[in-house]
Amino acid sequence: MKKTIAVKVNGIERSAEVEPRTTLLELVRERFSLTGAKLGCDIQVCGACTVLLDGKAVSACSVLAVDADGGELLTIEGLAGEGGLHPLQRAFMEHGALQCGYCTPGFILTAKALLDEQPRPTDQEIRDYLAGNFCRCGCYREILQAVRSAAGR
Amino acid sequence: MRSFDYLEPGSVEEACGLLRQHRGEARVYAGGAHLTILMKQGLYRPRVLVNIKKIAGLREIRFDAESGLVIGALVTHREIETSAVVRRHFPVLAEAEREVANIRVRNVGTVGGNLASGEPLTDLSQIFIALEGRVEIAGPGGMRAIPVEELFVDFYQTSLQEDEILTKVVLPPPPARSGVCYVRFSSSSVVDKPSVGVAVRIRLQADRDACADARVVLGCVGPVPSRARGAEALLAGKEFSQELAERAGEAASRECSPVGDLRGSEEYKRAMVRTLVRRAAAKAWEQALGAA
Ligand SMILES: Cc1cc2nc3c(=O)[nH]c(=O)nc-3n(C[C@@H](O)[C@@H](O)[C@H](O)COP(=O)(O)OP(=O)(O)OC[C@H]3O[C@@H](n4cnc5c(N)ncnc54)[C@H](O)[C@@H]3O)c2cc1C
Ligand code: FES
Ligand code: FES
Repeated sequence: MKKTIAVKVNGIERSAEVEPRTTLLELVRERFSLTGAKLGCDIQVCGACTVLLDGKAVSACSVLAVDADGGELLTIEGLAGEGGLHPLQRAFMEHGALQCGYCTPGFILTAKALLDEQPRPTDQEIRDYLAGNFCRCGCYREILQAVRSAAGR
Repeated sequence: MRSFDYLEPGSVEEACGLLRQHRGEARVYAGGAHLTILMKQGLYRPRVLVNIKKIAGLREIRFDAESGLVIGALVTHREIETSAVVRRHFPVLAEAEREVANIRVRNVGTVGGNLASGEPLTDLSQIFIALEGRVEIAGPGGMRAIPVEELFVDFYQTSLQEDEILTKVVLPPPPARSGVCYVRFSSSSVVDKPSVGVAVRIRLQADRDACADARVVLGCVGPVPSRARGAEALLAGKEFSQELAERAGEAASRECSPVGDLRGSEEYKRAMVRTLVRRAAAKAWEQALGAA
């Protein structure tokens, strides 16, 4: 049994025929060749697979692709605009908020969802919101600084 | 994940009909926070997945003085956390939600799935039981309502029939002179499932000197969330003292059956129950003193 889904991916209307068991992560990586979202834990713990579905951070590893039908998806590849890098991307570079970069797309997208909801978060709010994203290289302090500076603080 | 057929009913009746038709082979799919992981691990292998998210009318959050707070089964953790209505009438719930899982799980995980999973390491059931909550359940034969505590049977087992859907949770308006407190503790990381979660509600007598009755509900320390009846009996009719709260905690720590795991040994969890009941009882009492 296959199902055709229509999704707006990084601003572009796309469609795909998927088996219902396809995860959102398989959809973006294998069907749309958007490999910024990574597979980490596969159990909603680490955040490496984070994408924004209708503006909300979700674990692509554990959401079915059929759930994105009719929705809007933002992956890290869609973040930079005409004017170049997104302020969060620039801030992550400037503050050295990454080493290997495996966790970075997830952190940046989660931080984007936060700033969209709450443009001037406190340090505690940033920590709480990002607590579900893991960085094995341990750049937490720099990540906090980067998000703070992207929020204009 | 094994292949399955995927159905999207548009109404509760249709969904129950489909569940009945595929009895034994179908599973309800809400946020999938619990389900997809178990399916990927091969622990659940449904042949049919019934997505209930297209059903209208299961997403309401509303309060009125008669029914109390109504939370539809499809309301997400995040919606409870950020709802002004919840914050106003049951701040304890909004506060607890801030500590549930992580932002991604809260964005998709629903109240219905939280309860219907029968998963013991969760937060909401304890609070709902302390608040005398009921769940409404739809089946092919119509609706039924039961107290939240009667939903749970054993680890991952609920009293929901295979063709039934949990449609809402209803929390009656808080009684006069009552206070409620939930304390949960994660022993590994802040975003981990709770190791122990304790909810206490205290209702005071008219003169506010003594406790009229208490609900002490323990979560994560047994196959199902349960009331510590001994601790409740200790509190009823008494005036507050630190010593009384301590004794209630001690009683409760003997009334649970935790299993040792990565989140703590059995002894550790009993000690946590004792401490958390003591703290929650003191806070609930203080709140009750100031309540209308
Ligand atoms: C990393 C992680 C951390 C977590 N931490 C916490 C935590 O701290 N506290 C906590 O409370 N929970 C926690 N959870 C549990 C989390 O899965 C639930 O809280 C969530 O609400 C489940 O809802 P869902 O809609 O995703 O359920 P689903 O996965 O869609 O369904 C769960 C089960 O319930 C059934 N079901 C779903 N909805 C209904 C319905 N309306 N009627 C009948 N049956 C139904 C499904 O068939 C399935 O068997 C955590 C989960 C993860 C993955
Ligand atoms: S891979 Fe999805 S949360 Fe870790
Ligand atoms: S930069 Fe390597 S995991 Fe975060």
